[in-house]
Amino acid sequence: MATARLIPPLGRSIGPATATAAQSLARVLPRLALQARQVSAQVSFGIHGRRRAGPGETFWQFRPFMSGEPADRIDWRRSARDDRLYVREREWEVASTYWLWIDLSASMNYASSLALQSKRDRAIITGLAMADLLVRSGERVGLIGLTTPIVSRSIIARLADALVLSTERHRQDFPLAAPPGPRDRVILIGDFILPADTFASQFRALTARGAPGIAVQVRDPAEAEFPFSGETEFFAPDEATRWRVGDAGDMQKAYRERIGAHEAALRQACISRGWTFYAHSTGHPATEGVMNIAMLLSGGAGGAR
Amino acid sequence: MIGLPLAFAFPLVLIALAGLPVLYYLLRVTPPPPRQVPLPTLPLVKDLATPERQASRTPWWLLALRLLLVTCAILAVAGPRWAPEANPVGTGQGPLVVLIDNGWAAAGDWAERRNRLLSVLENASSRPVALRASADEPQPLVLTSATQATERLRSLQPVAYTPDRTRQFDRIRTFMDENTAATALWLSDGVAVSEADGATAAFAAALGPRLTVIAAEQNPVRAITAASNDRDATVVTLSRAATGAEGAAGVIRAYDARARALGETTFDFAGAGETTARLAIPLEVRNDITRIEVLDGRSAGSVHLLDAGAQRRKVAVVSGETADTAQPLVSGTYFVTKALTPFASVLETPRGMDPLARTLDDRPELVVLVDVATVSGTMLEHLERFVEDGGVLVRFAGSGLAASSDSLLPVRLRRGGRVLGGALSWEKPQRLAAFPAESPFAGIAVSTDITIERQVLAEPEPALTERTWAALSDGTPLVTAARRGKGMVVLFHVTADTSWSNLPLSGVFVDMLRKILPLAVPGAARAETRADLANPRQALDGFGQFSAPLPTTRAISRSAPPVATPEHPAGFYGPVEAAFAVNVLPPGAKLLPLSWGGAAPAPLRIRPPVDLRPPLLIAALGLFLLDALAVVWLSGLLRFGGRRMAAASLVLALLLPLTAPPPAHGQTQQRPQPSRQDIEASLQSRLAYIRTGNGEVDETSQLGLASLSRVLAARTAMDPAPPAGLDPAKDELVFYSLIYWPVTPDQPMPSDAALRRIDQFMKNGGTVIFDTRDASAVPGSGGTTAENRRLRQMLANLDIPEIEPVPRDHVLTKTFYLLEKLVGRYAQGETWVEAMPRGAGDEKRPARAGDRVSPIVITSNDLAAAWAVDRSGQPRYPMVPGEPRQREMALRAGINLVMYAMTGNYKADQVHIPALLERLGQ
Repeated sequence: MATARLIPPLGRSIGPATATAAQSLARVLPRLALQARQVSAQVSFGIHGRRRAGPGETFWQFRPFMSGEPADRIDWRRSARDDRLYVREREWEVASTYWLWIDLSASMNYASSLALQSKRDRAIITGLAMADLLVRSGERVGLIGLTTPIVSRSIIARLADALVLSTERHRQDFPLAAPPGPRDRVILIGDFILPADTFASQFRALTARGAPGIAVQVRDPAEAEFPFSGETEFFAPDEATRWRVGDAGDMQKAYRERIGAHEAALRQACISRGWTFYAHSTGHPATEGVMNIAMLLSGGAGGAR
Repeated sequence: MIGLPLAFAFPLVLIALAGLPVLYYLLRVTPPPPRQVPLPTLPLVKDLATPERQASRTPWWLLALRLLLVTCAILAVAGPRWAPEANPVGTGQGPLVVLIDNGWAAAGDWAERRNRLLSVLENASSRPVALRASADEPQPLVLTSATQATERLRSLQPVAYTPDRTRQFDRIRTFMDENTAATALWLSDGVAVSEADGATAAFAAALGPRLTVIAAEQNPVRAITAASNDRDATVVTLSRAATGAEGAAGVIRAYDARARALGETTFDFAGAGETTARLAIPLEVRNDITRIEVLDGRSAGSVHLLDAGAQRRKVAVVSGETADTAQPLVSGTYFVTKALTPFASVLETPRGMDPLARTLDDRPELVVLVDVATVSGTMLEHLERFVEDGGVLVRFAGSGLAASSDSLLPVRLRRGGRVLGGALSWEKPQRLAAFPAESPFAGIAVSTDITIERQVLAEPEPALTERTWAALSDGTPLVTAARRGKGMVVLFHVTADTSWSNLPLSGVFVDMLRKILPLAVPGAARAETRADLANPRQALDGFGQFSAPLPTTRAISRSAPPVATPEHPAGFYGPVEAAFAVNVLPPGAKLLPLSWGGAAPAPLRIRPPVDLRPPLLIAALGLFLLDALAVVWLSGLLRFGGRRMAAASLVLALLLPLTAPPPAHGQTQQRPQPSRQDIEASLQSRLAYIRTGNGEVDETSQLGLASLSRVLAARTAMDPAPPAGLDPAKDELVFYSLIYWPVTPDQPMPSDAALRRIDQFMKNGGTVIFDTRDASAVPGSGGTTAENRRLRQMLANLDIPEIEPVPRDHVLTKTFYLLEKLVGRYAQGETWVEAMPRGAGDEKRPARAGDRVSPIVITSNDLAAAWAVDRSGQPRYPMVPGEPRQREMALRAGINLVMYAMTGNYKADQVHIPALLERLGQ
């Protein structure tokens, strides 16, 4: 049977309490940032850049001309060597903007005995590692509602700063911001504990301009499995609601069904808008999550064209 | 309880057991609280239909645990006792007559006896009881309630004499005849002192089965019946009533008047009823013995008091030589005094007019006249009466005696004497012959290098030979003696100095004088010469402890036999210098076992009831811990470490009662571990103060002594550790030599234990500075301040020597600095120390000290406040009146006090006098 605990929230910077926030940053974020950097360093090995044709300067390959293409794409020097017409392709070098959102709501401050770390820490590590990974592969990364898109070697530190300085308004269950443009990409990392229809409507609002992206659901193993038994009183992280269960073991089946249905609803909402939905458990290593996200990002889902 | 030997002290509490079913119901419906678990997904699932929640019940085992816990607690409160007394004494009907022996022989196990009788009276609580102690006046018996008898019994104490219990027998028999329903109980000590036991047997036979006798199976009573001095040892005679091997061996110990142990030896009855033990102690120490007791005797009979009769003789040395003071080290007086001092107390010869008369006023047992040619007139009468009354007069010849003589001589002397080996003589100097067998000197080895050059000669007469105690090798008498009245006159035919012979230089001279000493009859026997009646001074109680005499104790005649009676219980009578010891047992008394005729007595010792409260309380506590653990376990808080931890805790909780110490029975006390403070105090010397409980005073003491310690380390060779605060009731004082005791009026009186410790501390040579700190205070009612009164109350219970204001020549003013007076924060207060005897020639000496350090110093100058500086080195209190250097002088007074406590009379040593004289400019 598992136990669970709540961890103290990240330094809240309501109003001018930046000193507290700075302390909190000094306390928590270096560790998370370092982990994020380590994670992204491991992952960069396995990913192979953006080796594909696209707008850019460097030569990529010659391909046979296909009828209907604009004639000015023909590389006449190459075409002169034999009977066919060739088009000179350049490597895709256009940088796109990734909008990152990391859930810092109260429900993230949770870790069960089955998890390797708390959901919040895992979300931050995953988000920052992704940001580092993306920046190193030439993209711009910004935090929704908090920063502009940034290209910087110290992207992790800058985003971490921004995270700490975020206010309560940014720590909602779901990003409440102007929808990004269609060329931008979105990475949402959170637990998405909100009713499925609410999620669907907010998600529609966010993707109103057609921005593609990936929704990463961070979930504690205890949340998924419900490994409790005996007389138990559950309480929400905000202490507002309590739920007393005669024998938690009896509730396991119903709980799993409810949670499974919820997750399926979220997945359906994402897929319907062309997004990718990825459920990540804090019982697994952070590297695994980052690797999978990177694969899913580069693997075509939400491709620009 | 019916059927079981189980009794409850408060049986009414058991009614609470009736509440258990209610508790059962309440506990059953009050389940333990559920686990609290956070769950972030709660908003998603909280509307899930929970299955019908059955009312959660307390698990049955927890219920049983709690009921057991409450049962244990209730039973424990009811005070259960397992008392397997088979046949309780005292139950029954009709009046109960109780006779308890409260002579000294019952004192050894008095508490046991009293408790036994108390339990009997408890059994007989509904019967009228007549309680009679064997030492009571033999009045007719009066019936009282058992409660009154219990009260009477609680106040009974054993007495320090042998009561005649047979006087009670008649009264009891009369009463028993009148009240045929009555039964009698006799708690006997089982000891008959030198008496035929017919009365006891007759008494027992007359009452028959109506009399129950309770007596110890093994009578442990051992008593000292006599102590006498022989040549090498004090022979102590012991007697006992039992004959078995148990308690046959033991230790006796001798004490002096200040309760210092002088020596001890073992004794062994070896199956007999009487034995002797030899205390082989040097004579000079033996003379100091005032009390011999059997270790762990705990009764007046095991204590034997010795008075002057057994102690050293008082010797007066009177000299006719006027030139003595010129050359004191070659005078006859010096030789005689030197020879006698170890074995007798030699009185100083008063100077001035008529020394002999004034010497006799001191009542010596032995008077030595060194070359006093003739005694005449009233002096002769005085001396003659002294000898007639039993005194011993020892005379030494001299030129004066050779010329003329008086009647106080054992033999008639020829005029002139003789000179041997001189210029006008052809006889060689004579040697000493072996001592005659009938002489007191017999047994002394004669040294061959003694030569007699001149002597006085006795006229030949028939009785001369038998009067001769020592003779020269040619048969000329050298020491002659004659009885006169009760006393004796001894004449040495030579001088006490070396001018006539070298006898005074030899050990034989010392031995001879020593042999003469026991011939002097102790002063107590010469009743006519002193006050006949001796008032009680120090009484023994039945337990053999000294106490104040009872008001019923009367003065005793010195001619009476020194045996304790109701009017004269054992103890010391008369003033210290002429003490008259009265002992419980007369010399030659024998302890005999008492026989009651037919039936064997009931045992005194019954198995004590086992108090079941401690095990029950421990069980309740263990169950409570178990319950707490179980509740924690149920609420899931223990799950973090897994089941193993919970199991381990449970096992631990189960084992806990087993490891608890067993309830203390009797003397199973553990040796106390030395405290950390004691260990530190024994490793490094330090000053100490008594914590008064007044925070400011204590802090001042602490700061003051710390400051004084620093000054001591800077200026003297002493490097004390930080001062220690002591609680005399708890802390061991033996590690400290100087204790500062500020007296506050609100300070609680020290407990008896604390007073004993302080007393012991002062007796062992420690010094206590009592500081009343009130030199500037205005005296209140009665001319004293509150502090002063408090100090008096405290000291009233201590054995405080006579005190005096510090004299100018006291060594305390010289130990380190030369001080006029000892000032503190106040300058006008007087400082008091133990009064020192003032001897001749003291005026010339700049420093004087007694044999030991004054155990007490009383001041009112608030010393610690003068010394105290705070952390920044600033003085804490202003000085009054604040003369310049007063603080420095106060520190010097402190240094002197510490040095005095540490070095004692060292500075008074002669060696330092020249230096002191030089510095004093005298």
